[in-house]
Amino acid sequence: MTDEARTDDAMIVLKDLSKAYKVGPSTVRAVDSVDLEIPRGQMVSIVGHSGSGKTTLLSLMGGLTKPSSGRVIIDGINIWNLSDKEMSQLRNEKIGFSFQFASLMPTLNAMDNVSLPSTFSGRPHDNSRAVNLLKLVGLEDRIYSYPEQLSGGEQRRVALARTLMNEPRLILADEPTGDLDEETEADILEIFRRINGEGVTIVIVTHSRAVASQAERALRMHRGHLSEEADVGASRP
Amino acid sequence: MKRLGLLYLAAQNLRRKPFRSFVTIAIVGLAAGTLFSATLLIGSVDRSLEVGMERLGADLLVVPEGYQESGQTALITGAPTSFYMDGAVLGQVSSISGVDQASPQLFIESMVSSQCCTGHVQIVGYDPGSDFVINPWLAQNLNRTLNPDEVVIGSLILANKGEQVHFYGHNFDVAGVLDATGMGADESVFMSLDTAYLMAAESAQVAESPLDIKPGTISSVLVKIAPGANIDQVSQRIKTTVPGTMVITANELSRSVTDRISGFKRGFIAVDAIVWVMSLLTIAAIFSMIVNERQREIGLLRAMGSTRRFIFRLMLAEAVILTAAGGIAGIFVGGAALFIFKTVITSSLGIPYLWPPILTFVELTFITLSLAVFSGAVSSLYPAISSSRLEPYAAIRQGE
Ligand SMILES: Nc1ncnc2c1ncn2[C@@H]1O[C@H](COP(=O)(O)OP(=O)(O)OP(=O)(O)O)[C@@H](O)[C@H]1O
Ligand SMILES: [Mg+2]
Repeated sequence: MTDEARTDDAMIVLKDLSKAYKVGPSTVRAVDSVDLEIPRGQMVSIVGHSGSGKTTLLSLMGGLTKPSSGRVIIDGINIWNLSDKEMSQLRNEKIGFSFQFASLMPTLNAMDNVSLPSTFSGRPHDNSRAVNLLKLVGLEDRIYSYPEQLSGGEQRRVALARTLMNEPRLILADEPTGDLDEETEADILEIFRRINGEGVTIVIVTHSRAVASQAERALRMHRGHLSEEADVGASRP
Repeated sequence: MKRLGLLYLAAQNLRRKPFRSFVTIAIVGLAAGTLFSATLLIGSVDRSLEVGMERLGADLLVVPEGYQESGQTALITGAPTSFYMDGAVLGQVSSISGVDQASPQLFIESMVSSQCCTGHVQIVGYDPGSDFVINPWLAQNLNRTLNPDEVVIGSLILANKGEQVHFYGHNFDVAGVLDATGMGADESVFMSLDTAYLMAAESAQVAESPLDIKPGTISSVLVKIAPGANIDQVSQRIKTTVPGTMVITANELSRSVTDRISGFKRGFIAVDAIVWVMSLLTIAAIFSMIVNERQREIGLLRAMGSTRRFIFRLMLAEAVILTAAGGIAGIFVGGAALFIFKTVITSSLGIPYLWPPILTFVELTFITLSLAVFSGAVSSLYPAISSSRLEPYAAIRQGE
């Protein structure tokens, strides 16, 4: 009962969450017994060495991979109790993913890529919103460009615009500023801050100190274990 | 404002790999085209036999001994022949019990240079007094008998009613054009026996290569048997009592065509079965390839909120678009090929041919297309299911 009460004001609740992979005879515990609660509207950064399990954790948060054990509760819903349709709807409407690697559909131009999430939500198709989002990430002149005609950083920004398309309440961003210069990184950070100001919960996996320092709360992954970082200006309630 | 729907995504994917899409379409097209054109051919032969036999109007055909084969060929394909026997045969045949009506015909090959026609045509002289094949048609369509120097022509003879045709130095008025039968009659010219004898007699003076046909000579006797009589028995009686003759029965005629086409039918069934199986396997291989190379995209679509169902339908749609396109292409190309090579095919196989009614076309088009679409669905089913089952994160990682 107390679980339910606490879950109510949390965007993300992870309970004793683990993800293990069998690789040959051994088992890799990519995420190991993680407990976490992220309140609505919080901006959280996750840092950690390569291979520490950051991407795996983020995928668990978004229901992209099934946990080996434990629970994932998003906005009060234990997501692995959902049907495929309900789960898809949740991903589509509540969550915006931004992936570590280039993640655009190669057959669609920038505008169509940004619009894509709205296709799955049955909303009236709205190109002007896609164009506005491209403007937001500074790519208003690349609307009709195909991914192969865009630089790595431009592709990443298109993907970010796509993340925002359905106005998600939760954004899960895996190294969103990975190959961007400092100036563009600052622009992107500004966008994150703005939508965070509108109450959107944001989890950013990053290697960048600048990005990490913007978050009100910092977490660290180490060999599948998650811990709070003390030194960032955390303002936990 | 366009909507980024399933079909749009599918079409974009297919456009990305034009060569592969083309190959898939071509393979299905081959299978569909073979099925379509060969079925059409076989169906047309059957139909033509039915129509042609009915139009022939006779149960038996008496020809001189040794000319059974060429008589059959002439009736079926219209390949011109000439063989002759004495007119006395008619009387002998008529008097045999079981024979209801008997009417003589005279076959004359036209010369190659005849103005009306590109090749040989068969000139057929019939006896207006006893005929039961041309007369009924004349009664129905012209309401009179033919005048001397008038002919009626088969549907494939290049002349129209009211025009003239020329044979052996004679001009003939075309009094009518017979309906298509798909058989030899389509390439024949019919005139009365007397006119034919006259033409032969006068050819000595007016023709480049004169005919040597004495009045009273005939080529065949058409026989209608009496109600209740047995065709085989009557045929046997004719053979034994009229020396120097052979009998072609309508049954034998259609059996001969059936024989000619049965090898073709069997070959076609084997070839088409192989082609379909191969195209099914190829599509299955192509689509599991597609699924493999697109795992990451599929994972991304899932992450953005597309359901398993959507992925499944997307994969299926891509396959079905290709196979439907292949089906349509096959129907067009196969149909066109049949149209163009019809004459070559039918004359080399020695079979009759009559285009089927439009409804058959529609039916066959529908069946072929359904089969193509069905093949696409079936062969992409496994890749479609397995791609929709992928866990998004695993799919994205594997695609990396
Ligand atoms: N499908 C898998 N099969 C086996 N091992 C896996 C699988 N996915 C992840 N791992 C392992 O789990 C661990 C965590 O991987 P993860 O991608 O989460 O790391 P990360 O922190 O995101 O690393 P990076 O900073 O390099 O992106 C790694 O050791 C990785 O090899
Ligand atoms: Mg990672």
